[in-house]
Amino acid sequence: MSDKGASDTPEDLGEPKGEATGAIGPVGNQGDIAEYLEELEDIPGTRVYTAARARKGYWLNQFAMSLMKEENRTRWRADEKAYLDEWQLSDAVKQALLDRDYNRLLDLGGNIYFLAKVFSTDGLSFLQAVSTMTGMSVVEYKAMMDAGGRSPEGVRSIKGGY
Amino acid sequence: MARITAGVGSSHIPLLGVAVDQGKTTDDYFTPIFSGYEWTKEWIKGEKPDVIILVYNDHASAFDANIIPTFAIGTGERYKPADEGWGPREVPDVIGEPDLGWHIAQSLILDEFDMTIINEMDVDHGLTVPLSMMFGQPEAWPVKVIPLAVNVVTYPVPTGNRCWLLGEAIRRAVESYPEDLNVQIWGTGGMSHQLQGPRAGLINADWDNTFMDGLVGTSDKNRTIPHIEYLRETGSEGIEMVMWLIMRGALGAETRLLHRHYHVPCSNTAVGHIVLEPVT
Repeated sequence: MSDKGASDTPEDLGEPKGEATGAIGPVGNQGDIAEYLEELEDIPGTRVYTAARARKGYWLNQFAMSLMKEENRTRWRADEKAYLDEWQLSDAVKQALLDRDYNRLLDLGGNIYFLAKVFSTDGLSFLQAVSTMTGMSVVEYKAMMDAGGRSPEGVRSIKGGY
Repeated sequence: MARITAGVGSSHIPLLGVAVDQGKTTDDYFTPIFSGYEWTKEWIKGEKPDVIILVYNDHASAFDANIIPTFAIGTGERYKPADEGWGPREVPDVIGEPDLGWHIAQSLILDEFDMTIINEMDVDHGLTVPLSMMFGQPEAWPVKVIPLAVNVVTYPVPTGNRCWLLGEAIRRAVESYPEDLNVQIWGTGGMSHQLQGPRAGLINADWDNTFMDGLVGTSDKNRTIPHIEYLRETGSEGIEMVMWLIMRGALGAETRLLHRHYHVPCSNTAVGHIVLEPVT
């Protein structure tokens, strides 16, 4: 595994251990927490920010949070690699940050509201940064939004295909 | 006694704050959005609420990845606008209402809602954009604000039903406060949007409008919508709409519709806005 972040958490975070079998509340269509978590992975092109991702991406997100301070933004802009070396991040995370590869950063446990500190420091809006994850140019993406956005048809469920 | 006299739902898209701050609200792009708030801006001048309980979510501003409160209530004297990476918005400080805030916090805990209590924090666009939408650009905000921050970022977020029940408990708490205060509750965020991954840009106007229909009258069907439905139908960030259910729950068994507005798009997001009053 190339991803060895600062935390000492195990690698198999994605799989609940199956001990929680009770209903998780009075509403919802989930029989238990394992089913609940499984459903969250069944949406095309989407990484729901689950506890497993939050654990995996903890230091990535805390790094991003540090860019809330202007003094840190200045140091980051001056030498990104040197700034990253102050954090306990895997090489994969560092490279994805240098590449501004936001889909990869989501896979590595990043959350978009934390990653926003990176793209706002670059002077990008949400729309500009978000478009980079879709395979469209900013112009194409904005045109899609102005025409009413992306339809949910066909992208609701991987298993269901609807 | 204090009373909840109205509920307001509104998106809190950061670009709306940019439009206000940079004087662009009458541009071609923004006019269809802001024109839908004109009714409310006039209405609220007449209503003169003393306090807004403002339900919103923090977007990695006051809370980092370390501490993740499900429900947090602000009991501070004042809150500064957060620097979210672009520099803080140049809007007035938000003035708190610690007496009522602490009263609600204590009442909720005894009512079995185990709140996190926040005395000092900066508030981000989730809280300041709705104030700008309803009040424009005043020298000082004309109301006191009790921030109520909800975790809608790290899963599991609270269920819609739990949010509704919290709203009911907030109403009980407000009505047990002796001072004669005009209190509104605002639920913010949404509507459909997804800010991440190849599926980003998702919008579902039909779903959003059905959700708004369900806030009016005696219906409580929205409280049983499971998380997966918000995610599939309204995008990964559409889950913010559970915060509107805290507002709806606080209005009691029946509501009357005063105003409603919907527009696509603003940036990546569908704009929704509704004004309701309790039927008592």
